[in-house]
Amino acid sequence: MVERIALHQTRLHTPGLGLDAKGVALGAKGLVLLPSIDRLVMLLAAYTREHSLEQIAPTLAMSVVKSKLGTREITFEFAAESSDRMDRMAEIARLVGGLTFTGTSRHFVQYRDSTAPFGYDALHLLSTDAVFALYHDRFSQTYDLERRIDLRALLLRLMPRVDPSTRLDAGLRIVVVEQGLGPATVNYFVRSRVEGDVCVAEWPPESALDDSPVQRWVMRVPHLPERMQQLVHATPGITCFIPAGQGVAVESGYRHAVGLRACPVFDATGLVLLRGVGDPWVIDRMPPMAPFSTFARVEMRTEGGDAAVAVRTLPADFVRVPLRVVRSSARWRDATATCISPDQLPLLRRLAYALPRTIVAQARIAVTTLGAFVRSEAGVDSIPLGTFFVEIHPRLYVPAGYQVTPSLAPEVVARAFDAQPSQVLFIGTDGRAWTVDEGAFATLETAMLEAPAWEPVVAEAIERTLGDALIDLKVTPVGPVPRLGAGPQKWAGKA
Amino acid sequence: MGGQGVTTLDAVAVRLFEGVMAPLVLGGSVRPGDAIGVCAALALGIGASAPTTDHELLARVQKARVRRARLLVPIDDVGPPTGAEWVLAAALHDVLQAMNPRLDTAIRRGAAARLATLASHTIASVGPPKNVHEAVSRHTWLARTLDVARTDTSVSWWSGSRVFLGVDPPSRLQAWPGLRRVHVTRASRGLLELAPLAIERTILVGVLAELLARTPLTDLATCTRAVPPFGWGSATLALIATRAGRTIAMRALARLPVAEVDEALGRATRGALAKNQSGARPALELLAERAIAEAQGHVGAVTGTPLAEEAIFARRMGAATALRMLEAPDSGWPEEERVQLRMALRRAHDLRG
Repeated sequence: MVERIALHQTRLHTPGLGLDAKGVALGAKGLVLLPSIDRLVMLLAAYTREHSLEQIAPTLAMSVVKSKLGTREITFEFAAESSDRMDRMAEIARLVGGLTFTGTSRHFVQYRDSTAPFGYDALHLLSTDAVFALYHDRFSQTYDLERRIDLRALLLRLMPRVDPSTRLDAGLRIVVVEQGLGPATVNYFVRSRVEGDVCVAEWPPESALDDSPVQRWVMRVPHLPERMQQLVHATPGITCFIPAGQGVAVESGYRHAVGLRACPVFDATGLVLLRGVGDPWVIDRMPPMAPFSTFARVEMRTEGGDAAVAVRTLPADFVRVPLRVVRSSARWRDATATCISPDQLPLLRRLAYALPRTIVAQARIAVTTLGAFVRSEAGVDSIPLGTFFVEIHPRLYVPAGYQVTPSLAPEVVARAFDAQPSQVLFIGTDGRAWTVDEGAFATLETAMLEAPAWEPVVAEAIERTLGDALIDLKVTPVGPVPRLGAGPQKWAGKA
Repeated sequence: MGGQGVTTLDAVAVRLFEGVMAPLVLGGSVRPGDAIGVCAALALGIGASAPTTDHELLARVQKARVRRARLLVPIDDVGPPTGAEWVLAAALHDVLQAMNPRLDTAIRRGAAARLATLASHTIASVGPPKNVHEAVSRHTWLARTLDVARTDTSVSWWSGSRVFLGVDPPSRLQAWPGLRRVHVTRASRGLLELAPLAIERTILVGVLAELLARTPLTDLATCTRAVPPFGWGSATLALIATRAGRTIAMRALARLPVAEVDEALGRATRGALAKNQSGARPALELLAERAIAEAQGHVGAVTGTPLAEEAIFARRMGAATALRMLEAPDSGWPEEERVQLRMALRRAHDLRG
């Protein structure tokens, strides 16, 4: 029998039972005694509705125990940790018709309730070798362990309940298609622009009479169009699943009794497909998946089917308008070129003596039949001659105070003239354009100065002095009759 | 110098020395005069002792000869002209005179031919040098024989023009150049390019070849000339058959373009082998020494332009002979250097073995 623990009571009889900071009697473990397996399922369903089993899973142990009277009941053990967890579990156990105990090894006493807020203590412990000795205010009973219950196996054995509303849930779908329907289904998805991945999974033969493994196409469809709901739900050979947690999915139209997301018992690298009817399909390790587009139909061109190249394009003459140069109301600035007519060139010659050094050094001039074009990046304001031009694009000039119309981007205007990169384009006020070759521009300082006459002075080569002098054969007179030398007798006496 | 029908030998010697021999060594104007002929040349070779009374000129000539000789061999004295050198100089004098354009007239052409024949006979009376020193001495006199050139001047003015061959135009023709629009054009013509000639050019080329054959070192030192083509004669082969002569010949050849030397030697060696295979051995040994010198880096390697067929022949013959020399039992090369030379020769000339 048990008795209520009083306030400030410190001495307890039950081994392994202690008081926490609140004074509540608490052992290392908590235990819920359930009369049947369906109550266990209820407990799990109720608990996982709001809490995860992840915290108690390492210490969780479910067993079928047998009393001396031969009755079989279910125990649900877990680490007590704190009275808060115990309180929560006790409330849920109360809901499903279970009794909550706490203890450490073998002896478990009734957990606190409204009658005993500090819990209970067993005054007389049972002398037994049984696995569990439970002390309740209504009974004291020993239990022997009959078998353990594996949580994953329990979850897989549970048949999902029919719940058609799950078909309306949005989100990811896992569509499992029998081997024969796989390619057609993938092609259908490809044609329908449905994104997704696909792989082929293998299961052992369903019977000894089958000599080949069972293959099914597993497709992961992030967004299944609504118009295809009927296809995946009503077509024989196609089964649609809704992910219910990491590594587990439940057939669409069904719902699992336990919140599977709260049960960390499924491997993330595999996949468990819980069917509404029939055994679950388990894939221990997901095969590599490929996008649907990989399976798109491939068609080869016939031989000789070279790409057709357009022979020519027709100009869009019907939208072309002539380019005009009109006066601009905007204030002009940065005139960097000027066109000096031939009759003003003498003035430019006279002005050359007055130009500052910087202008002379930077200005470049090209003399053409139209006159002299002078360009200077620093501006041509110092040369008050000719028609000033503004550079609206590299090497494209329009008269200062004018603008081109229609209003086009400068690069478009430059492209329309199709001028070579080595040409400088000047557009006059009448819309006519002239190009001057870039090479024709010379710096003003080199162009303006007449070269003074010079006289070459040839240096004497040093090698000539040190080398051999030329041997110059001179022609001497030979006379009317050339002498051919004298006979030997002439020189005999001299020798 | 010319007397009233009587000319002393000394006067001829002075004329020959000052008019031909000295300018041939020092440079300047070569003025051949009346033909000397065979007898006078031989008499000069026997009896001429004092070449000139101008001792300063003689000293300058001797100094220039020593300088010429020192390009090839370290000697300080080349001695006075020997008899053979007098004779060869006289022969050259007559050859130059035979090229006188004033002989190119109807009545004088025979005289020109006779001069060439006299020169040939004169040369024939001189034997090859007896030793290397004599070869060097002759070379100091005749080294620049083929450098003799004649300056032809063309003068044109407002009303006409005139060509002066080997003589200076009169100053009167060049007076008032602006007013008379005078243009003077001078062109230098080489000895074998002179025109007009009173005799066949081939005769002159033959006489010059004979002259060069009497001075083998000059013959080798000008082997890259176009005409007369170089060929291995008895004098040149005799020269390079000696150790000292081959060394001097190598030095003379080293002053010429390598590819052109190879081509000339290849052509000459091919001809010599066709005539007398055993007699051409000195030529092959010379080619072998050139190949070894090139392998050792003493001769500039040929790069750039492809070699002529004759040059390739000379280089391969030289390399092959050099390999035989290196592999000979009496080869004096150290073993390590011999192996390196053999590898270099085979690699450079693509010889298998």
